[in-house]
Amino acid sequence: MSVDYLLHESSVGYAVFKVRMQADTVGNRLKEVQDKSQDLATFGKMVDLVSFAPFHGAAHALENANDVSEGIASDFLRTVLEANLPKSEKKKRKITLGVVDRNLAGSIKAAFPHIECETSETSEVVGDLLRGLRLHAGKLLKKLQEGDVERAQLGLGHAYSRAKVKFSVQKNDNHII
Amino acid sequence: AGAKGGQRVVIEPHRHAGVFVARGKEDLLVTKNLTPGEAVYGEKRISIDTPGAVSGDATNGDTPIATKTEYRVWNPFRSKLAAGILGGLEDIHMKPGSKVLYLGAASGTSVSHVADIVGPTGTVFAVEFSHRSGRDLINMATHRTNVIPIIEDARHPLKYRMLVSMVDCIFADVAQPDQARIVGLNAHQFLKVGGGVVVSIKANCIDSTAPPEQVFAREVIKLREERIKPKEQLTLEPFERDHAMVVGVYQRSG
Repeated sequence: MSVDYLLHESSVGYAVFKVRMQADTVGNRLKEVQDKSQDLATFGKMVDLVSFAPFHGAAHALENANDVSEGIASDFLRTVLEANLPKSEKKKRKITLGVVDRNLAGSIKAAFPHIECETSETSEVVGDLLRGLRLHAGKLLKKLQEGDVERAQLGLGHAYSRAKVKFSVQKNDNHII
Repeated sequence: AGAKGGQRVVIEPHRHAGVFVARGKEDLLVTKNLTPGEAVYGEKRISIDTPGAVSGDATNGDTPIATKTEYRVWNPFRSKLAAGILGGLEDIHMKPGSKVLYLGAASGTSVSHVADIVGPTGTVFAVEFSHRSGRDLINMATHRTNVIPIIEDARHPLKYRMLVSMVDCIFADVAQPDQARIVGLNAHQFLKVGGGVVVSIKANCIDSTAPPEQVFAREVIKLREERIKPKEQLTLEPFERDHAMVVGVYQRSG
C-alpha cells in the first residue's frame, strides 16, 4: 500500500506534504534506502510541500498541541486537511494520508470518509518518511526563519507543561507500577 | 567549601567537550555555568578570572579587561551521568550544540549540567512525568532557555511529538522495568540515525531477584532488539551500587 500525502505536526503549525517517491516495503531497511532520507538533497525530491498552516498564536498552538496529544483532530486541522487534500471523484480510490499517531488517524478517518490513513505502526515506509520530515522540517517549510521551530518549541513546551502541573487534581505523584 | 578560601584552582577541559575539571586541593568535575551568579540546587560554584583576549589594538597600553567565568561543581554521587563520566565513558554523545532528549529529568539537577554542556546553541528536551518534581524542572527551565520542559509520560512519545525535534542523543534514567522499550519508542520517533543512546540501569528496578550482571545483560539484549547497537557498558561503582551505564548507537538500516 502506498502513501499519497503526509501530515507533519510541529510547534509552529501543520504541514501537508505530497509524496512523490517512496521506498518499497521490502527494501526499506537497506542502507542505500535509509541513506536517502538522511540527505536533504535527496529527501527534498521525495516529498513536496503542499501547504503549511501556521498557528495564529501561542494560545492557538497550545490548544492544538493538547488536541494532538489526545489524538483529536481539531477544527483547525480539519480545515487544513479539507483545503489541501483533493476530493475523490471516484468512490473506489481513497487517498492515503501518512500520520504518526494511530488515535489521530482514527479521528481523521471518522471526519473524512474518503481518506485512508497509514501510521508508522502499520507501515515502516511511512515511519521513515515522517522521520525525514521531522529531520528536515526547518528547511522544508520555506517560510520559516532559522530557529523559529526551536523558539516555538520552547514557548509551547513551557505552556503545555505548566498547564499539566497546574491542573493536576492530585498534588502528589501518581505512581505507575 | 572545598574550593574556596583563596585556593588556586585551575580549570582544564575534560576529554568530553563541554565538561571541565577543576584542579585545586582536590579535583572536581565541573561545567561552565550558563547562568553565572546562580546555583540551581545549592551546588558549589567556582569563579575563574580569564585574562581578556589580546586583540589587535593591545599596543595602546590598556590592560585587556579580565572577565570572570563561572563553573558549577558536578557531584558524581548525585548525578549518574557525572558518575559515568568519572567512570571513564568513551563517548557521551553530547557536546556543545547537541540536541539531547533527556528521559527521567526529575527536578532538573542533572539536566542543568547537560544544559551547560550543550550550551546556548544546543537544546535539552527534558521529559518528566511526576508533577511534583516537574514543578522544579519548569522553574529551572525558566532560567535556562535551552531547556524545554515536558511534563508527560515517556512511554507515550507521540503525546509530546510537537515539542521535540530530531535529537543527537537520548539519555535515559527512568528506572522502570520496561526501560528498554521506553528508550526504543523514543528512539524510533526522535533519534537521528547514528545518534547516541546513554542509559542508566538500576538492577533493582528491573528485577530485584536476579543478580545485577544478569539483569544488565538482559537489558542490553532488549536494547539490541530496538536497533540500538551497544558500544560500552560500565558499573557506576563506587558512586552507585548495582547500577550500570550502557552506551549504544541507533541504527535503522540492516
